[in-house]
Amino acid sequence: MSDAAALEVRNLVKHYRVGTGITGGGSIVHAVDDVSFEVRRGELLGLVGESGSGKSTVANCVMRLTEPTSGEILLRGSDITHLSRREMRPLRRELHMVFQDPYSSLNPRMSCGAIVGEPLRLHGIAKGGELRTRVEETFDLVGLRSELRYRYPHELSGGQRQRVGLARALILKPSVLIADEPVSALDVSVQASILNLLRDLQREMGFSCLFITHDLATVEFLCDRVAVMYLGKLVELAPREELFASPQHPYTQALLSAAVVPDPEEQRTRKRTVLEGDVPSPLAPPSGCRFHTRCPLEPRSAPRSSEEEPPLTEFTPGHLVACHLVSAGRPAPRLVEEPAKIA
Amino acid sequence: MSVVDATALTSPRARRRVLLRKRFLRRPMAVVGLVIVVVFVVVAALAPWVAPYSASATDFNAILAHSSSKHLLGTDELGRDELSRLIWGGRASMQAGFLATLLAMIVAVPIGMVAGYYRGWVDTAIARITDVLLAFPFLILAVGLAAILGPSLTNATLALGIASMPGLIRIARGEVLALREEDFVPAAVANGANDFTIIFRHILPNMTSTLLVQATLTIPGAIIGEAALSFLGLGVQPPTPSWGVMLQDAQSYLSQDSRLAVFPGLAIVIVSLAFNVLGDGLRDIFDPRTTR
Amino acid sequence: MAEPLLEVSDLSVRFDTDDGPVHAVDKLSFTLNRGEVLGIVGESGCGKSVTCMSLVRLLPETAVISGNAVFDGVDLLALPPKRLRAIRGRDISFVFQEPMTSLNPVFRIGHQIGEVLTRHLGLSRSDARTRTIELLDLVRIPSPAQRIDEYPHQLSGGMRQRVMIAMALACNPRVLIADEPTTALDVTIQAGVLDLMRDVRERLGTSIVLITHNLGVVADIADRVVVMYAGRKAEEAPVGDLYAAPQHPYTIGLLGAIPRPYHGDGERPRLREIPGRVPSLRELPQMCAFADRCPRADELSRSQVPELRFVRPDHLVACFHPGPE
Repeated sequence: MSDAAALEVRNLVKHYRVGTGITGGGSIVHAVDDVSFEVRRGELLGLVGESGSGKSTVANCVMRLTEPTSGEILLRGSDITHLSRREMRPLRRELHMVFQDPYSSLNPRMSCGAIVGEPLRLHGIAKGGELRTRVEETFDLVGLRSELRYRYPHELSGGQRQRVGLARALILKPSVLIADEPVSALDVSVQASILNLLRDLQREMGFSCLFITHDLATVEFLCDRVAVMYLGKLVELAPREELFASPQHPYTQALLSAAVVPDPEEQRTRKRTVLEGDVPSPLAPPSGCRFHTRCPLEPRSAPRSSEEEPPLTEFTPGHLVACHLVSAGRPAPRLVEEPAKIA
Repeated sequence: MSVVDATALTSPRARRRVLLRKRFLRRPMAVVGLVIVVVFVVVAALAPWVAPYSASATDFNAILAHSSSKHLLGTDELGRDELSRLIWGGRASMQAGFLATLLAMIVAVPIGMVAGYYRGWVDTAIARITDVLLAFPFLILAVGLAAILGPSLTNATLALGIASMPGLIRIARGEVLALREEDFVPAAVANGANDFTIIFRHILPNMTSTLLVQATLTIPGAIIGEAALSFLGLGVQPPTPSWGVMLQDAQSYLSQDSRLAVFPGLAIVIVSLAFNVLGDGLRDIFDPRTTR
Repeated sequence: MAEPLLEVSDLSVRFDTDDGPVHAVDKLSFTLNRGEVLGIVGESGCGKSVTCMSLVRLLPETAVISGNAVFDGVDLLALPPKRLRAIRGRDISFVFQEPMTSLNPVFRIGHQIGEVLTRHLGLSRSDARTRTIELLDLVRIPSPAQRIDEYPHQLSGGMRQRVMIAMALACNPRVLIADEPTTALDVTIQAGVLDLMRDVRERLGTSIVLITHNLGVVADIADRVVVMYAGRKAEEAPVGDLYAAPQHPYTIGLLGAIPRPYHGDGERPRLREIPGRVPSLRELPQMCAFADRCPRADELSRSQVPELRFVRPDHLVACFHPGPE
């Protein structure tokens, strides 16, 4: 048991049953399958994936908003995987979350001050004057004018609401913060201020953060290490610079090449890969390597890729990849790229 | 930046109230409904002071009389003042309506909320039972229950309350099903809130508009239900008047003087329509998608 | 040679709501030339979607629209509804952001596309079916002859968006207005849809108005860009110029807010923030709408509305102090 990790996830599996009636039956959504990683003390780990990757499910499991099907979740070394609601309560001071939707994550019937103060009240840590003071301090910490305490969420802008969400999550000074797409619903200029804020707060308060997003540029700005998920599986995990400088897994390569860059010259001349087809359904994930149905390198890895799941192996120290074509010291081939058609 | 405007000085609650009031006033039907409801309620509440006669004061010299200065709406078959009986009767009918609805809300809303929040077998059990009850027409259910309980105003109120519950359970359940998907619910869990706190402190306050509208629409059903029960002899027992009792009494005299049936009937219709129109108007103005 | 296809002048849109008027668009003018992709960029509330929806009258009753939008010699804003309906879907078509809600879930996609064909072009059922298969092929949907009979829920998000595009292209429109067409899509799918749009422009010569908040998408596909702020046009330029030499402080701020790879040695710089908030649209400020958030604001910007002026050929800015950082 590593006590250097603030949060550790081991062999996490989460399957959902859908379409069941009284008589049973229905199918299984393989949302997360055997995912393992750790978030070290004081680090920002980015978890990247597109829809169906399972990244939000990982967040829900880690936050114990739902119970994993199997696997373990360790918060600062203690196993929280199967704790009951009541047993989790005291641990909720150590672990909190910021949500994606600034509109639905705040109760429209509560004033912002009440929303931010609720953790203090619920855990019986402060009340009355002391509670008010701490709420004011936290408002200040996230850059909100203290008179906004009396306002209701619908009177605030998206960026301000997200700050309220951050304030609520940080008021108890947790050691781990889960941020599930916290800026995706915000305008570009507002995203910038929230990202800056998050970075500042993390440095100041030293919490560990699992930052979930689909946007690679954000991850590159903010995170120390990056994990990439595809269809419920972890396909690559590496320190930030290395992931962007030499991505190994074909999916990571495709993701990086598909991202649009705000520079017309660069965007139109750079070579990129466009993946064919759609993401398969998590109800019936492909056999073997889940990416093999869309992988441009599949001819080279067949037939193994359709029969056997690639294990997560260490490519270089700290850089893990789950691909049959990658092993220690032997990098993956670069994807065949076509230049973007110049308009 | 902050454009300092007057609206920043008034509280958000006050501004919302102003907005709702403006919207309401733009709906003349709803306003009329509200006025009628208020008039009826006030008159019924002030019955002891407003009614010219007591409900049972008979005057055998003036049986089945037409309207006169002494009896504004005439008298019934026992010489009792029709207007007074309407007023006292309204008191009984509307009391039954309000109390039955209140009872239904107090019991049904928590049940519906529990079903919607917990899902699983609790939800299945509650939902199926509710579905079975909903298969019965409201009046049939009320009559059945009243028959079991025995004839009296209290029992009728009880029966009507119980019969109104299935519909309200379903509405409450639906609201909770939608609201629990909002992110502030897992946020509350992350805060360490227990289920009770989440249900009553987070979800319930977000349901109040819907519940208000539903109550307004349930009351007329209960009023009509009381009238039906009393008409069948299962509710208020004569000589205590209620509109249903008056209708029952008027039956034998229909060919002679239909007045006795028309007045209570009209009263029931007007009040029910007024509540319905008011309820529709309220539902409209609370809907965030309404543009005017 | 630039040939104007759609000329919008002095377009203003005001919504009369319960709480008072909201001035969503204030005297906006722009031109779409034949065969070009015009990007309209801005953050939420800037009026970009309202602008385009007003052109084909997709706005609610509470909207009060003024100005001109001349398409093919006809002012769209002055047309009687019947004539507008003939143009809508046929000469000017729309692609929306959310493909699931813009496709009717209870009809097969073949039926929905076919409806457009029979209505506007009067094609018979079998002709419509043939053309539909052609269209599905054009938007690169694999096995179009099978997929034509599927329902929207059987398709993925990216596929549905392609179906939307197919429907929009059914009558070979001259103008395609795409409102945030890739915002709801995954990055890898977005790349394919953008390629498709580029293809459409090349092969069919369709002119495209692309509305988005994503500056990367604009960089990828647009020829000219209009930057909107608070219902007004802040800057307009050919795409290369806009990114290489933005003149309006808002554009500069916007470009600076986007995270970009950093390869330097020292501490990584903060992202550029734009302080303050978008002004309320309830009044039309008689000053530069951006003044309260602008580092270059002065007496002049706070007392007058800046006019659009050429700072370079083809490059317009509405600012009293335009220029690079």
